[in-house]
Amino acid sequence: MADKRESGRVKELQQRRILDEPARRRRQRKALEALEQDNFQDDPHADLKMSKKAPKFEESIEIGNIGQISSAKKKKKNRTEYFKYRLKKSFAALIEEEQLLSTDPPNYFSASTPPSKFPERHFCAVCGFPSSYICVSCGSRYCSVKCLGTHQDTRCLKWTA
Amino acid sequence: MVVIVLDNGAGTAKVGYSTDKQPRVIPNCVTKAKNVRTRIFIGDQIDECKDLSGLYYLLPFQKGYLVNWEVEKQVWDHMFGKDMLQVDFNEASIIMTEPYFNFRSIQEAMNEILFEEYQFKSVLRTNASYLSQYKKNQDNSQNPLCTLVLDSGYSFSHIVPYLKGKKLAEAIKRVHVGGKLLTNHLKEVISYRQLMVMDETYVINQLKEDVCYVSTQFMKDMEIARKKGSENTVMRDYVLPDYTHITRGYVRPIEETTGKAQGNEQIIRMNNERFAIPELLFHPSDVGIHEMGIAEALMLSVESTSKEMQPHLLGNILLTGGNCYLPGFEERFYMAVRSMAPTEFDISMTLPKNPVTYAWEGGVQLANDKDFEKMLVTREQFEEYGHNICLEKFDV
Ligand SMILES: Nc1ncnc2c1ncn2[C@@H]1O[C@H](COP(=O)(O)OP(=O)(O)O)[C@@H](O)[C@H]1O
Ligand SMILES: [Zn+2]
Ligand SMILES: [Zn+2]
Repeated sequence: MADKRESGRVKELQQRRILDEPARRRRQRKALEALEQDNFQDDPHADLKMSKKAPKFEESIEIGNIGQISSAKKKKKNRTEYFKYRLKKSFAALIEEEQLLSTDPPNYFSASTPPSKFPERHFCAVCGFPSSYICVSCGSRYCSVKCLGTHQDTRCLKWTA
Repeated sequence: MVVIVLDNGAGTAKVGYSTDKQPRVIPNCVTKAKNVRTRIFIGDQIDECKDLSGLYYLLPFQKGYLVNWEVEKQVWDHMFGKDMLQVDFNEASIIMTEPYFNFRSIQEAMNEILFEEYQFKSVLRTNASYLSQYKKNQDNSQNPLCTLVLDSGYSFSHIVPYLKGKKLAEAIKRVHVGGKLLTNHLKEVISYRQLMVMDETYVINQLKEDVCYVSTQFMKDMEIARKKGSENTVMRDYVLPDYTHITRGYVRPIEETTGKAQGNEQIIRMNNERFAIPELLFHPSDVGIHEMGIAEALMLSVESTSKEMQPHLLGNILLTGGNCYLPGFEERFYMAVRSMAPTEFDISMTLPKNPVTYAWEGGVQLANDKDFEKMLVTREQFEEYGHNICLEKFDV
């Protein structure tokens, strides 16, 4: 009971809050990052002891190379070191490297596409149908009083980042 | 000559010998199952897993580029090894695809792995669209001057123009919408509107492939989807697998579509989600991605080529990649391009029977080309000249 009254009061407070522009952009960026994510749960085997069978890629490269490549041993060792290091690059690091190289186009950057020339379309964040209203608190779209209610009860200012 | 063709997609690897009729299409990832704690599943081993709920993915690719070599190596070892192709590397050459504008350090790592680690006899690294347009030209007696390839796969979609088999790199365009984003967005939407499925990538990807389509009358379909009862011809019920009685999700027949679950089963009601999700390919801004859609990007690509070339490109558009399987895709793409292109140009599109394996099939044909050997770099050459010879010979 007490809980209910409490949440009603909190809700009212929240409704007066307005998300500023940077916060709205942060939220949008997070939503886009989520669309790139590989997993939303934790590794279900995270608590398992590292299996003996788990591959050690770096090691296998060294073993694979011994005596099979004619190049000098020292050079080979350096290469292997270099190789290991290179294998650790994230996408962000690759992009940074590419920027530093600053090769003339065509390159990765010249292939990107600008925004569309057509006007943006807007859909209700709740039901997905075309919408014409904007939530004053957070800037989300909604289409009807019903959807606005759902939006305020669920998402509106709930996952402010 | 023994040749292996590997179209190494970020979603699925298409792999087989050049003597095979069809490639094996295997998930390019390592998977861990929530309910199977004794092992991991490499690539297609996931077919041995009986409970596909809550799968956890280790993906070699990030934003379309190979970054996790440890995972990729596991998948390749499995493909090349005793369970599958049983490759005799000393005798085998490989045709391997990679993304457009692949980063230099990835290219070098690729050379080292293929030549030094696996010790292939010789290697050809190329792009999937090269193989696709090669096949298209081979199969077409008229041998058109230009081909404009749409390659819409797991990570993103590219428009890649070719002139006489040569890629016009300066006119390549990339849209950051691919099958992965569509599936993730569908998961998001269903989790908010109906049922928490954020952990169920495998199931929701199947749902997408089973019931989503590209609308050719977007606003009209929205109106239909608002209707109640039998007037709503968009609505479908999708019965989720429970992995005890129901081993795979399925669409309920239209006559039985009620929006209600029967017995113990769990359903997802698919309404405007069916066509609003694939719509992102045409309108990335629907989810706030500030890029053109694929049809507009195609026009941008065409416009950045010379005037003489433009009609030839528009007259020979080739649709490849898994997203082209979506029902309605070709028709909608045609309508969109038609509406933007100069009216005096004819537009012609080809959707291969299998847009996923088409590039692989092209690789098989290329392996039989009389000039094929000249395109390869041998292990001896690599040992002598290093990465430079690959940079010179491979147009990636
Ligand atoms: N029948 C289908 N309907 C819709 N999408 C599909 C279908 N078949 C495959 N896809 C999607 O295509 C993508 C994989 O396409 P593919 O060309 O193999 O990509 P890549 O080469 O980047 O791995 C996946 O996201 C998959 O869900
Ligand atoms: Zn609504
Ligand atoms: Zn709001």
